[in-house]
Amino acid sequence: MTMTLVWQSLLAGLANSFIYAMVGIGIAVIYKGTRIVNAMQGDFAVIGGMTAVFALSSWGLPYPVGFALGILAGTATGWLIDRFCVRPMMRRNAEEDAFLLLTIGLAFTIGAAVLYFAGRDAHLLPGLGGSGSVQIFGAFMPVHAIWLIVISLAVVFGLWAFYRWSIIGLSMIAASISADGAETNGIDVSRMRGYTFALGGAIGALAGILVTPLIAVSYQMGLGITLKGFAAAILGGLANPLGAVIGGLVIGVSEAMAVVGLSSGYKDVVALGIMLIMMVLMPNGLLGHAGRKGG
Amino acid sequence: MSRLSLWIVLSVLAICALPFVLERHSTELMIFAAFYAIAGLGVGLLLGQCGIVNLAQAFFYGIGAYASAYGTVVLGWTPALGMLVGVGVAGLIALAIGWPILKLTGFFLALATLGIGIIGTILFFEWDWLTGGTLGIGGLPPLSIAGFAFDTPDRFYFLAWGVALGLLWLAHNLTNGRPGLAMRAVRDAAPAVEGLGVDIHGLRIKVFVICAMLGALAGSLFAHYVSYVSVESFTVQRSIVFLLIPVIAGPRVVWGVVPGALFVTLVPEWLTGFGDIHQMLFGLVLVVVVTLLPEGLTGLPARLGRRVTR
Repeated sequence: MTMTLVWQSLLAGLANSFIYAMVGIGIAVIYKGTRIVNAMQGDFAVIGGMTAVFALSSWGLPYPVGFALGILAGTATGWLIDRFCVRPMMRRNAEEDAFLLLTIGLAFTIGAAVLYFAGRDAHLLPGLGGSGSVQIFGAFMPVHAIWLIVISLAVVFGLWAFYRWSIIGLSMIAASISADGAETNGIDVSRMRGYTFALGGAIGALAGILVTPLIAVSYQMGLGITLKGFAAAILGGLANPLGAVIGGLVIGVSEAMAVVGLSSGYKDVVALGIMLIMMVLMPNGLLGHAGRKGG
Repeated sequence: MSRLSLWIVLSVLAICALPFVLERHSTELMIFAAFYAIAGLGVGLLLGQCGIVNLAQAFFYGIGAYASAYGTVVLGWTPALGMLVGVGVAGLIALAIGWPILKLTGFFLALATLGIGIIGTILFFEWDWLTGGTLGIGGLPPLSIAGFAFDTPDRFYFLAWGVALGLLWLAHNLTNGRPGLAMRAVRDAAPAVEGLGVDIHGLRIKVFVICAMLGALAGSLFAHYVSYVSVESFTVQRSIVFLLIPVIAGPRVVWGVVPGALFVTLVPEWLTGFGDIHQMLFGLVLVVVVTLLPEGLTGLPARLGRRVTR
């Protein structure tokens, strides 16, 4: 095995890292705003990716419009889920396992709906910046992967600023930390939860649109992506979008090394194994003291 | 006699009478419902009594099935030995996995079990020297006990439902005795129970091991009935279906897994009449049950009753 091969698979792992990070960020955003772990975050990605694919190929819309439609589809799905499922359950003070069952049921339903409406085939999107690639120390990286990394970092810093300075961002956090306290201060808690789900859906859909030029999107990929994203989010401490990037890097790079060292079949075993070990040994994530409920 | 026990007696009678009136295809569906009831009973004990969501049941189901397949076809064991080894191995693996991960709770524990379920599916796929990979293992002998072979659907029907109802009865006694009280107390008020000196971690491990052994037993019966096992039967989708079984009928009552198991076997069968959309409809039913009916479908009559009398 040559060094170039290792380097090449590291670069590929780097691109995957940011996809896991994006899904992890979506999970972190929803967890931060509602204390719900969303087991259908990967299906937001499927919805976003599929909508963009159909907007481009079947309806012949231009790339930016397809991109926007994909994100819109994810946002709308997130909002609808809050409005029609989460809100009635919050009203009757449903328990944690009920919310988990809800998101798993939604993952199942959306997977089946995509299968029904879009079929079994996997689809690819054209990459941002064309299909070219750049050479970095003897290994190739698609231009799209660089765009993916830049956009993910922009999302992370945008979110950081949003939660730190914007009134809506601060209200969203306040609503999740203490619903009663927020209510007394005039914050509409259930509207904030709606915004949180819409934002989570938008980020998930963006992740889906960005991954589709690299990995073909299909109806059954949701749950797998969710778990990788969750692994990334767990490593980062779950409520911290920046942590999800670091977590994504750990997962993506170890996967890439597993492909070189073992065989490609075992890469998910390595990623999920790291997740399990981290959950048991370092419950607060790599960055520590982020604090989390229920574990 | 309470309403619940009346329902139970009526259902048992109905289950005994069914093979005499059903055609072959329906009998086969009912046999699958029995496997689902056994595996779902394990998941239901964890969910309803301890509040633990287990998404790895298909993994243990697979361990039981592969132990029977590999043991009887490759090693030439008797079916009973294969089944015993499968249940034992599943119990030991559950103990080894459960000891560290059952320190987690809630979402984290659920996603940990999901991770284990996915790792399990990958290992079933990759370790083809043991499992036959995508080709699977075929040619399992029919199950026989003391020379009596369960080789027709009707005979197997009585075996599967006999085992299922026997186990349900045991689980019923377990949950109505002291262990059940402790389990529900752990679910509802863990800190208080710890103060009373209940070993919470130990209790959760015990139920997790029981759940895994029930899954393996169901898998082993399944393997002998269809006489062929392959990876497709042990995916995470299957684990989700196992989880639905207690959820649909309300997880708190042990007997709820019987209507739950009937639901997950019969409803998709009826929905296939609608074409490819049936999976989506099935998922929607689940979402509606979780969103609007916290006590499951069995809670529906009581709920309607309350609404009418109010």
